[in-house]
Amino acid sequence: MSKLKLSGVSKAYGATLALRRGDLEVLAGEVHVLMGSNGSGKSTLCKIIAGSVRPDAGKILIDNRPVTITGPRSARAEGIGIFYQELSLAAHRSVEENICLAALPTRSHLFVDRALLKQRAARYIQLFEEVAGEGFSADALVGNLRPDQRQLVEIMKALASEAPILIFDEPTSALDRAQVDCFFEILRDLTWQDRGIIFISHRMDEIKAIGDRVTIIRDGETITTLNLAETDATSVIRLMVGGSGDMPASQSSAPAVVEGKDGAAMTVRNLSGRGFRNVSFEVAKGEILGFGGLHGQGQSALLRSIFGAGSISSGEVLIGDSRFDASSPRDAIRRGCAYVSGDRGRDGVISGRPIIENVTPIHYLRDRLMIARPSKLRDKVVPALQSMHTKFQSLFDPINSLSGGNQQKVIIARWLVDRPDVLLLDDPTKGIDLSAKADLFALIRQLAAEGLGILLYSSEDAELLGNANRILVFNGGSVSRELTGTDRTRYNLYQAAYEAA
Amino acid sequence: MAEVTITSRTRAGGMRKLLERYPFLPALAIVVALLLLNGLFSPNSLSYRSLTGLLSTYMALVLLAIAQTYVIYAGDIDLSAGSILSLVNVAIVVLMERWGGGAGAVLLALALGLLLGLGCGLLNGIVVAALRLQAIVATFATSIFFTGFALYILPVAGTPAPALFWRTYGGRLLGVPFVFYILAVLVVLLLVLSRTRLVTQLLAVGDDQQAAFQTGLPVVQVRIKGYLLCGLFSALAAFCITGDTASGDPLVGGRMTLYSVAAVVLGGSALSGGWGTVVGSLLGALTIGLINSVVFFMGTPSEWQNFVQGFAILVVLMAGVLAGRRARA
Repeated sequence: MSKLKLSGVSKAYGATLALRRGDLEVLAGEVHVLMGSNGSGKSTLCKIIAGSVRPDAGKILIDNRPVTITGPRSARAEGIGIFYQELSLAAHRSVEENICLAALPTRSHLFVDRALLKQRAARYIQLFEEVAGEGFSADALVGNLRPDQRQLVEIMKALASEAPILIFDEPTSALDRAQVDCFFEILRDLTWQDRGIIFISHRMDEIKAIGDRVTIIRDGETITTLNLAETDATSVIRLMVGGSGDMPASQSSAPAVVEGKDGAAMTVRNLSGRGFRNVSFEVAKGEILGFGGLHGQGQSALLRSIFGAGSISSGEVLIGDSRFDASSPRDAIRRGCAYVSGDRGRDGVISGRPIIENVTPIHYLRDRLMIARPSKLRDKVVPALQSMHTKFQSLFDPINSLSGGNQQKVIIARWLVDRPDVLLLDDPTKGIDLSAKADLFALIRQLAAEGLGILLYSSEDAELLGNANRILVFNGGSVSRELTGTDRTRYNLYQAAYEAA
Repeated sequence: MAEVTITSRTRAGGMRKLLERYPFLPALAIVVALLLLNGLFSPNSLSYRSLTGLLSTYMALVLLAIAQTYVIYAGDIDLSAGSILSLVNVAIVVLMERWGGGAGAVLLALALGLLLGLGCGLLNGIVVAALRLQAIVATFATSIFFTGFALYILPVAGTPAPALFWRTYGGRLLGVPFVFYILAVLVVLLLVLSRTRLVTQLLAVGDDQQAAFQTGLPVVQVRIKGYLLCGLFSALAAFCITGDTASGDPLVGGRMTLYSVAAVVLGGSALSGGWGTVVGSLLGALTIGLINSVVFFMGTPSEWQNFVQGFAILVVLMAGVLAGRRARA
């Protein structure tokens, strides 16, 4: 019996299509797995079902009855419960309050019924009693819990909705083995109650263990739905990647090995910190070292920490032969390290200020410049901007008047006035268009050819395959595999990212 | 050596637990310290009589700080709270005078004053939560509007409140000063309110608005209700200021708005929302009152009083931050 059916659902944010055509049918009593690479539209699809994103088009049927979901409240009323990947918890409220927050039990419609709330929450806390770990209790504040414990609270909160349709968007990413096993036991119980469950995970073994059917989404489009018993990991990954899975990186691939004639640009030894542990690598002058793997496996945390913006607990970093270990970004910049983040709004753009001011802050810092003369700065700024074909009217236009791609070019230009030794790129092409991407990578390759050491993390595998000389695949905060030479194929990259998790 | 570190850690952990349960403890310690300081400079200032005077003078600020707390719970702010106070103040004084100043007139005027406060709160709530304008600017704009309305009702300060009203406020009932009854009722009211579903929802919205929306909370309604509570308590604050000054003044509350915000922060609540207590705000308002009183009893020359007051508030704020940081470390 069909519990939930979506057909032709789409959603666009401005010009970017997050979901082109989402089709999905979930049966009663099954665990239905959604698979797709980063940014393929899985989470958008889930949020549409849960009402926190409004679709532009498409039909939703629950128990073969067409419904319109206007928001999270109406989704709950239709019998949908969801675990949000980014969690939906109030950090300063207790575990039990969070579990019951959506429907607080009340007395005379006004007061919170503490006794009933305790009792109701205890039912779900008790399910995970054995595996919740130290410091977990009903009255602990969620903000004081470990990430895995917070994830358990979000699971309990989703279960507490007692909804006939439950969505779990990457519920296991922070959980350990025992917690996952316990959770799967509960999921199996739920399927016997004929509930429909949508489950997203990037761990192949988990999907095999719990899933009944799988729907594969690629580039915002539903590709197919398969029976998991009749398929294997290889063909699933092949469907996710698309037809070109076996093709070697790309025709414009960079040379596999860089002659280490000038020695190492940066050496990292046994570096551990928040979000990553025991990472060691060496990037030669003129080399582009790629960081691959699923999103949030420690790549960004590592780059930020090297730049002095994160925490390092042990290990060392060398630039050339001397110890680097930057204590702050200011320190890192002074000593020849550059960092470009994909999150321009947070880390790059000086919002509302002219383009020229957005190009020059690093120059001010490195040259200890006290007084700025625009006419003199222009000679330094214009070549840097032109080397990337940045389109702008006047240097004094506000940076917000530019497109995302051009803004990012301005941000990169600020590092070109005084050349750094090492360039850290943290998913630099997030949300920018194709031609700007091409310009950026042309420049990055040129910089490498001039002898910079470059660390490139990208959430798009094609960018890594097309530009990196070597690729380190990250998994759970450490490097799980290194791909060099002809091993750098889409298939290998996916497999390394998905399997061992 | 190892043992020492462990004990100090458990002590810090215990302190942190205590602070999590009672975030107003630093504010309480500061109030006690300020009381002692007051006693040091002028033993007379700790007498029953002067404490009653202090309470009746600062009861309006206490209520206004509590009003402010409910919107700050939800991560909003109300810069019009003081103007609502002024508006209600002049409205009830004019109405009482016009209706003759009898007991019936006073009660009817107070009831209308409460409605007026709720109306102002509703307007703020609609503007901020439903129309999604920036709280800080939107309520600044409505504050100008409310002040204009107050000036229309009573262009110049000075209309006296009926004797019945201010004599009751400043007087005694069964030998106990009336303000203590107000304080007692207030404490009970705050206890009752803290158990409501609304307060939990306000705090959840202030904690993470997106998460609260995705959880299925009616975010817009909850924020509007926060502003309604704020309007209600601002009106109650207006009653106290009317009792204390015994007259109507269309500009009396303007200065008090930012004091109320300061009191909330001194009381240990987070301006970003999601975290705080009304008891803390009550203590924060008393802190401000006591600072002013210390400055007075120290015999500070009048031209230096503002300087000392501002400095003292900064010191107290710093002390609160340090206490919180040590407990969290």
